Amino acid sequence: MTDTTAPRAAGTIYDLGYQHYEGPRYGRWHVIRTLAAFSFRAAFGRGRGGKAQVIPYIVMALVFLPAIVQIGIASATGQTSMINYASYLPSVTFFLALFAAAQAPEVIVADRQYGVLSLYLSRSLSTVDYVAAKLIAFVGAMLAITLGPQILLFFGKIIVSADPWAMFTSTYKDLWPILGGTFVASCYMAFVGLALGSLAARRAYASASVIAFFVFMPAIGGIANSIIQNPDDRRYTILAQPFMVMTGFANWLWDVHTSPRQVPNQFGARGAARALSRAGLPNEYYLYVVLGTCVVALLILALRYRKTEV
Amino acid sequence: MPLLSAAAVTKRYPGVTALDSLTLELNPGVIGLVGANGAGKSTFIRILLGLLAPTSGTVEVLGINALTHPLEVRKLIGYLPEHDCLPIDVSAADFVTHMGRMSGLPASTARERAAETLRHVGLHEERYRLIGSYSTGMKQRVKLAQALTHDPKLLLLDEPTNGLDPEGREEMLGLVERTGREFGIAIIITSHLLGEIERVCDYLVAIELGKLQHAGALSKLTERTAFVRIELDDDAAAFADRLRAAGLDVQSIENGLLVALTDDRTYDIIRDTAADLDAPIARMELDRHHVGELFRPPASDFRQPAGAA
Repeated sequence: MTDTTAPRAAGTIYDLGYQHYEGPRYGRWHVIRTLAAFSFRAAFGRGRGGKAQVIPYIVMALVFLPAIVQIGIASATGQTSMINYASYLPSVTFFLALFAAAQAPEVIVADRQYGVLSLYLSRSLSTVDYVAAKLIAFVGAMLAITLGPQILLFFGKIIVSADPWAMFTSTYKDLWPILGGTFVASCYMAFVGLALGSLAARRAYASASVIAFFVFMPAIGGIANSIIQNPDDRRYTILAQPFMVMTGFANWLWDVHTSPRQVPNQFGARGAARALSRAGLPNEYYLYVVLGTCVVALLILALRYRKTEV
Repeated sequence: MPLLSAAAVTKRYPGVTALDSLTLELNPGVIGLVGANGAGKSTFIRILLGLLAPTSGTVEVLGINALTHPLEVRKLIGYLPEHDCLPIDVSAADFVTHMGRMSGLPASTARERAAETLRHVGLHEERYRLIGSYSTGMKQRVKLAQALTHDPKLLLLDEPTNGLDPEGREEMLGLVERTGREFGIAIIITSHLLGEIERVCDYLVAIELGKLQHAGALSKLTERTAFVRIELDDDAAAFADRLRAAGLDVQSIENGLLVALTDDRTYDIIRDTAADLDAPIARMELDRHHVGELFRPPASDFRQPAGAA
């Protein structure tokens, strides 16, 4: 064995199929974008086995269903008033929750469960950038499944109407609440999914905790409901129910103040409308709860990933 | 510029000192980092990567301070962790490409280099299969490929032969050796098996209980530690006595003797003694695998610091 500790010439090309790389090495944004794109694909099971794609595709079908049904009815009856943006978000909240429960763990838990996170952090990626990439990826995935159907509704409404141009000029302003509302709702779902996922060691636990959030929060609200005596205070317990919060948020967004009887009895919408009207809270309270939940979720993520090693 | 210079690096955990005032300067080459489990090898590697801040002291990798500029340092390093670090539901080609891009390579280059590195580690045929279906040896190769794909200046290999069968170990060491000698990439490889270190490294750093035990070129070390290993089918006591009487340094081992090699005369004495006693020698070989004789036997009864495994 020879003493070859002397520095070797760097960049020498050896005739072994191995070549040193002298080209550009991109920085921070390239790395964040790469991780975000990879995670976005993971959220839909792309580039994975066939099994990984089952739930994403089922959810995709389910979230587009209300939009397609509404357009179908509107087209058959010629009544574009059948198309109702305000009811869309509440009607798919359950499926969005299902998507968050099933896919957020793929995005954030798998890295820790399989130790890939330690590889990422041994590259030039900080934990802040890591979390940012994951947030971009999953908010993006949520946007893809929430915005798509509403854009479909928007154009569907124009196409099936008797005078498409007139319909466009009178409804294009709906695009702003569509975009803003979907973005906020996507952030809400994605942040909750990722924050709860960041606390779980395995994907299955993370899925369970996201489901628990949507199922047990109403139960906690129910318990609080039975403890609190004052009916005036008791009505605030509705704010503990994520599905009600989403419905209230959609009402705020579309400035809905209808009586429950006017709400179509589909996807449990009338029941929700009744509960909301019984509580009688101002619609903006639901917005505050959505935004507050987002802030808490971000804080959880920040605390969870504050150290270099996780 | 030295590959690495560490000045009085200390890392204390509550109740345990993982690294105790480690001062070290290394030049590029294939460097072996040995020590018992919990000696501080992994802690040292994590400090090099800037993933762990030392309690005191400074570390520079290729002239960059790992503590203040960890992201810059990590750009130059390829890291093969000791533990599992691969997703199961992604193909090796996709994953190594992804890790190349994560190191700043453009997408098309990352794909080309991933194919190239996977060929280098011997996974060309299987690269489109999901990693979850791979054997331990194949996974270990993927780990090496992802560490190598962005053409690092320094490879940190933390126990790359862990969990491999003897044949797998042999192949992995062959790959490491080729990468170091033929591609000209500096390598720091940790192992608790000295034989492996001796096989591929030209420089040795030994750590024990967080203290630097030894650092030096490996050829010089092994010169001092050449032994003739004699395995006997019979009781070796009489044979050993005769050799000692002839002035040789003899040590009894489980099924034979270790005789310190001084010069060619050692062989003559062994031959003559064996002939005289008609000794039943089963096997005789020149044994360089005893770098360990330089150090005390590995301490195995102290606790590993939390998170430093």
